[in-house]
Amino acid sequence: MKSAPIDLPNPLHARLDQLERQLARERQARQAAEAIAEAGLRALYESKRSLALLQRITDRANDSDTLTDAIAFAQAEICAEMGWDFANAFLVFSMSEAVPCDCWHVANPAHLMPFIQVSRTTTFPRGVGLPGRVLANPQAHWIPDVRADENFARRDIAIACHIVAGCAFPVMARGEVVAICEFFSRKAVEASEPLIEILAQIGIQLGRVAERETARETLLRDAQQDPLTTLPNRVLLLDRASSAFARLGPDRCGLAVLVIDLDGFKAVNDKLGHDAGDWLLVATAARLRDAIDETVGGESVSRVLGGDRYANPDRARRTRATLARTGGDEFVVLLENVTDENLPHRVADALQAELALPFSIGRDEVSIGASIGIAQSNLSYGDYDAVQRDADLAMYEAKGAGRAKTVTFTETMGTVVRQRMALERDLRGAITENQFVLHYQSIVDLQTGAIKGFEALVRWQHPQRGLVPPGDFIPTAEGTGLIVFIGDWVLREACHAIARLHAQMGSDCLDPPFVSVNIAPQQFLQPDFLRYLRSVVMETGVPAHCLKLEVTEGVAVLDADRTRRVLEKCRDIGVRVVLDDFGTGYSSLSYLHSLPFDMIKIDRAFVAVMDQPKSLKIVRTILDLANNLGLMVVAEGIETPEQQSALTALGCEMGQGFWLSRPLEEAAAFAQLT
Amino acid sequence: MKGIIFNLLEEVIGAAHGPAAWADLIDAAGVDGAYTSLGSYPDAELLRIVETSAAALGMTPAQVLRWFGRSAMPLLAVRFPHLFANHATARNFVGSVNAIIHPEVRKLYSDAICPHFHFTNRSDGALLIAYQSPRRLCPLVEGFVEGASDHFGEAVTIEHLTCMLDARPLCQIAVRWPT
Repeated sequence: MKSAPIDLPNPLHARLDQLERQLARERQARQAAEAIAEAGLRALYESKRSLALLQRITDRANDSDTLTDAIAFAQAEICAEMGWDFANAFLVFSMSEAVPCDCWHVANPAHLMPFIQVSRTTTFPRGVGLPGRVLANPQAHWIPDVRADENFARRDIAIACHIVAGCAFPVMARGEVVAICEFFSRKAVEASEPLIEILAQIGIQLGRVAERETARETLLRDAQQDPLTTLPNRVLLLDRASSAFARLGPDRCGLAVLVIDLDGFKAVNDKLGHDAGDWLLVATAARLRDAIDETVGGESVSRVLGGDRYANPDRARRTRATLARTGGDEFVVLLENVTDENLPHRVADALQAELALPFSIGRDEVSIGASIGIAQSNLSYGDYDAVQRDADLAMYEAKGAGRAKTVTFTETMGTVVRQRMALERDLRGAITENQFVLHYQSIVDLQTGAIKGFEALVRWQHPQRGLVPPGDFIPTAEGTGLIVFIGDWVLREACHAIARLHAQMGSDCLDPPFVSVNIAPQQFLQPDFLRYLRSVVMETGVPAHCLKLEVTEGVAVLDADRTRRVLEKCRDIGVRVVLDDFGTGYSSLSYLHSLPFDMIKIDRAFVAVMDQPKSLKIVRTILDLANNLGLMVVAEGIETPEQQSALTALGCEMGQGFWLSRPLEEAAAFAQLT
Repeated sequence: MKGIIFNLLEEVIGAAHGPAAWADLIDAAGVDGAYTSLGSYPDAELLRIVETSAAALGMTPAQVLRWFGRSAMPLLAVRFPHLFANHATARNFVGSVNAIIHPEVRKLYSDAICPHFHFTNRSDGALLIAYQSPRRLCPLVEGFVEGASDHFGEAVTIEHLTCMLDARPLCQIAVRWPT
């Protein structure tokens, strides 16, 4: 067939109209196609993120032995994924009330302290407040705006803490609510069908942990024996120990408790798996049993079914030991009829000696140790529980002192612990009352004497004790998690101060001074640290390159991979990172090599003894190393002009110390610039 | 820059200056992207179109951006009604930009580079917006705030305290909605 153009009457303007209509149709078609693609992309994105979140929480739930461990993980993940600032959890008993379980997570602590305090201490009856509502009607509940919510018991304090939105969902096991997770944010957080669905799924996965936990507890209650090691369990131990305590003479002497917590067991479990971990526990139990038999004499360790133990009066007077497994990697030795007060120590030494030898698991050789706490009964004890509590305390002291240590409880230790608890209470008050101040110590160019920046140093203005130096409260703050609140305040305040200083100096200052802030490992390794850091930089307006974060090797020891990622991202947003106390750790070189620091601070210990040739060589080596790696160096603790000139001669760029300038209050410190 | 911004600019210019204006501007600016909403196009092309419009309309590029931001808001309200539905005030809506609006943008356009805004409530009642972006599009931010205020029927005053265009590290914009 021959093709020919269709010949229609078609003047030019009609043709133009037609083309415009066609163009409009084409545009509509493009927009419709874009809309379809956008809807698909959004759905895909949301389901991918949600499924990944659910997967992470499910994986952890599968590995968790306790519900609170699984919830704690889920809290951090959900906060990071959905942008909540604070997460809290309640346990539910017989569906009647929600009791806080001290399992909470704070992603961004600013202003939130009072709300956190009340949330972790308030119990909610069924139907009352957000947790009570979830209990009465087990599904996710959403509070889009706390101000407009009539059934929100913490409303006033939430408003005072700038909280805007909240949500809560139940953790379900066997059709019942066993726990409630709640989340709060200072920003609006929108509810959506898929989001609510994913929270429900998370609630079910967490519930599985609770089911397993209950099943395990039931088994433990029913049996008096630890099925894995065949040792007596906690129930039987308490039973025996309480009767032994009741049989003590008028001086209440003769009973001793050793609490043994294995060091490094969790690492073996994580690395080689649960089967290897179980095997290791069985092998450990056997070694402990042998060591006790050998020290106490004969077969002194009673097995579970001891039978007629007290029938023979002669046996009843003999020194006896009960070895029990009381927790995952925790054992207790109960010694009765102790006449030699050194016996508990000899037993502890024997246990330590046994565990000092490595174990072979398949082709792997593993070393564990034990932290042992000892307490002996005396007139001051009213029941067995108090003795074991003190042994526990001694064990925690031992744990704090490093691997394979034994510590015996003393009255002084009790006093120290009570003082520590008082300090902790005061610290909580200090955070709410804002009793902290910052002092600033100059960091100086050693060649020119010019001030390059300041290190912000926190002090506690205690209402009774006056100015408390950080060494007296930071360890307690770190041990209790309060460091996150103090660290938050320090970072914000230091950034505000330096931004104020820059504003005073004007924008034409070519080399504005930096501020250097110490960041604790817990703060640095928080999942939301970067988001938080960014928000502080934005809020205070400090130029990112004028902020330096000082971290110690401690962060890398806790989690080297994460530390490297966080450091890289800090640098991506322009914030500089400093390795503090360089030279005091144990594998400094490998960290220097693998972690992207901008600057190192030579520890004061080296500077203090620089007049010795060996120290001088060390400092020179550090400076060479830093030079080769392109790192800036600050020498800390310069206290004499000799030290300054020696460091300058070695080519050290910057220094800090009493000789150059003491830490001063903000106004006095910054006045040094003019 | 995502194509949707070009599409919005096309709509705003078309509504104000007739259907042929966009095609004229594209030709005059010497750019020729297809500008589908899902695509990404060089920032420089948007800036060229803005500069060309500014020259043609006798305005500065900043004025064009501000006008564009304000005029684009009603179009956005039609296109993304769910982002507006849950807010009663302009302040509340503006405050949701990091937590809701930008995450939504990233869902649609996974390669979108969204700025992060930092909000502080100043004691005098003003909302302090801190903005930091290598694009330095703070006039567009002002326009969006004005457009959002129009949407919620509120008057607004905007004060630019510090500006990246004056070589400061970030912009600080104080916004007041007198009640």
